[in-house]
Amino acid sequence: MSFLNLKRFRNKKSLPFIIVILLIAAAIITALTTGHYYISPDQLFKIITAKISGKAPGSDLATPTIVLWSIRLPRVIMALIAGAALAVGGVVFQSIMKNPLVSPSFLGVSHGAVFGASISIIFLSKAAISIEASAFFWAITAVTLAYVIGNRGINTLTTLVIAGVIVSTFFMASASLLKYIADPYDELPAIVFWTMGGLNNVLWIHVIRASIIIGTGIAFIYAFRGKLNLMALGDEEALSMGISVKSLRIRFILFATLIVAAANSSCGIIMWVDLIVAHLARGIVGADHKRLIPFAALTGALFLLVTDTVVRNIPGGEIPISIITSFMGAPLLAYLLTKQNKQWR
Amino acid sequence: MEVLKVENLEFSYGKRRILNSLNFTVNEGEICGLLGPNGCGKTTLLKCINRILNPESGKIKINGQDTSCLSRNKIAEIIAVVPQELHVVFSFTVLQIILMGGTIRYGLSGIPSKKDYLRAYEILEELDIEHLASRQYNELSGGEKQLILIARALFQNAPIMLLDEPTSHLDFKRQHQIMEVIKKITVSRGITSLITLHDPNIAARYCNRLIMLNRGEIFHQGLRESIFHKKSLESIYDMKIKIERTPSGVNYVFPEPETLPQ
Repeated sequence: MSFLNLKRFRNKKSLPFIIVILLIAAAIITALTTGHYYISPDQLFKIITAKISGKAPGSDLATPTIVLWSIRLPRVIMALIAGAALAVGGVVFQSIMKNPLVSPSFLGVSHGAVFGASISIIFLSKAAISIEASAFFWAITAVTLAYVIGNRGINTLTTLVIAGVIVSTFFMASASLLKYIADPYDELPAIVFWTMGGLNNVLWIHVIRASIIIGTGIAFIYAFRGKLNLMALGDEEALSMGISVKSLRIRFILFATLIVAAANSSCGIIMWVDLIVAHLARGIVGADHKRLIPFAALTGALFLLVTDTVVRNIPGGEIPISIITSFMGAPLLAYLLTKQNKQWR
Repeated sequence: MEVLKVENLEFSYGKRRILNSLNFTVNEGEICGLLGPNGCGKTTLLKCINRILNPESGKIKINGQDTSCLSRNKIAEIIAVVPQELHVVFSFTVLQIILMGGTIRYGLSGIPSKKDYLRAYEILEELDIEHLASRQYNELSGGEKQLILIARALFQNAPIMLLDEPTSHLDFKRQHQIMEVIKKITVSRGITSLITLHDPNIAARYCNRLIMLNRGEIFHQGLRESIFHKKSLESIYDMKIKIERTPSGVNYVFPEPETLPQ
């Protein structure tokens, strides 16, 4: 067999990657320059070259430098890494559950995070670090609980999904109870606004924290990408091919939950990104996780950055990001459903 | 040489006993057919041998080694499975499906090398299905899917192959095509195959050894010539059977019309 044939069969199509990377570059420039304070591309170039060369930018660039460096850049980076985390989390959960309609929230990540944020806002502190820590802790707790309950019986996958529904419902009810007892003028709006997600309060410290967790999680998931292919065929297939399904599933759930919880705790609940992007990415590059994971990460990053830029530039003030992701996500999924009538991708 | 030995194997789903004190051996290079009615425990037996299910009691030995002491990796090195059907939710290509058969050799990441791609392609060529390499598995016909699953088992490169009703969804021609492939690879590679089958005529034509199961017990076992007769088949299928020998010396099994449900 010739090398050319081998290359063809290895199915290395790089065009979708190049397109998404170019779109991300365009989206980054747009996001950094647009907003309530306009920064021209020329100013952007001067600020960046000044930062790279270590020189202080001119006095006329003082305000744009502060806006760019302290507000927009951390927000743009957070949108990119949170989008990547949600999308990769979606891919992993869909693959290990063998279900294209599953998202991390199925095992209670999102409802656990909402419950945790509510606990912090009402009983602990409204400080961002407290809300983030509590949301993160309860998101992980919810998934652990779902896994402990669901990891029984003959058909573990089915019981796991049912356990996820049980735990999600429990945390949703608990969060509703907390909203009911919350102060309607102070605590309740804070909970509701956090629940709808947003990147308006992102600081460099959030970016650094989330980068470490999300970077580690995605690196682990990518390291085991080949085995994720087998997990997507089902437990019996994976076992027959020599995979220790239970221990590998625990590791995938743990790292996927970590990255999604890190994104949720920093940005609130951002709906649809995990489900939609994972689905869209499969449709474009196929089901092989060697290409799917990096492509989903790039597409998720692009999707969230574009959405956040739209949110920031809507006339009349910024609105919660989940409203836009839902408006964009629902029709997109409907389109994909009707288009892919033959097979889920 | 004795490759697979099953001793006093018992298995239950809850309180329902599925396999009851099974004892048999399969020799190297044999095609051993498991015959029996629906629900008699054929698939469960294959799953026990592959340790997908853990037997309640008894031992399964491969080359004298008890499989309960072996890791999942080690079992995958010696046993390849061809399932009755593979329901693939996501759209993997044929080549990707076949390459998954070599996961135990890929190390931590589970990613195949260039050599693995070449080897997979060679197997596709050996089975005359190289034109399917870049097709989506889900878009193939039943017969093509079975060939792909056999190719994946060959790529796994295990000395024992367990095939669960490989002809059950196939048309007449495809049934024989698949069985000819199994016969060919068994001879050319010295693989030992254990196959569950519904059609006694297929078993009579392609299997060297037969195990006849009913209600979780072995009713008859041995070399095909010694046990493939009217009484043994009637005892497992609970119906009157007629066997006719063609001029070419092949036995064909027919149900007696009066025993068919009206």
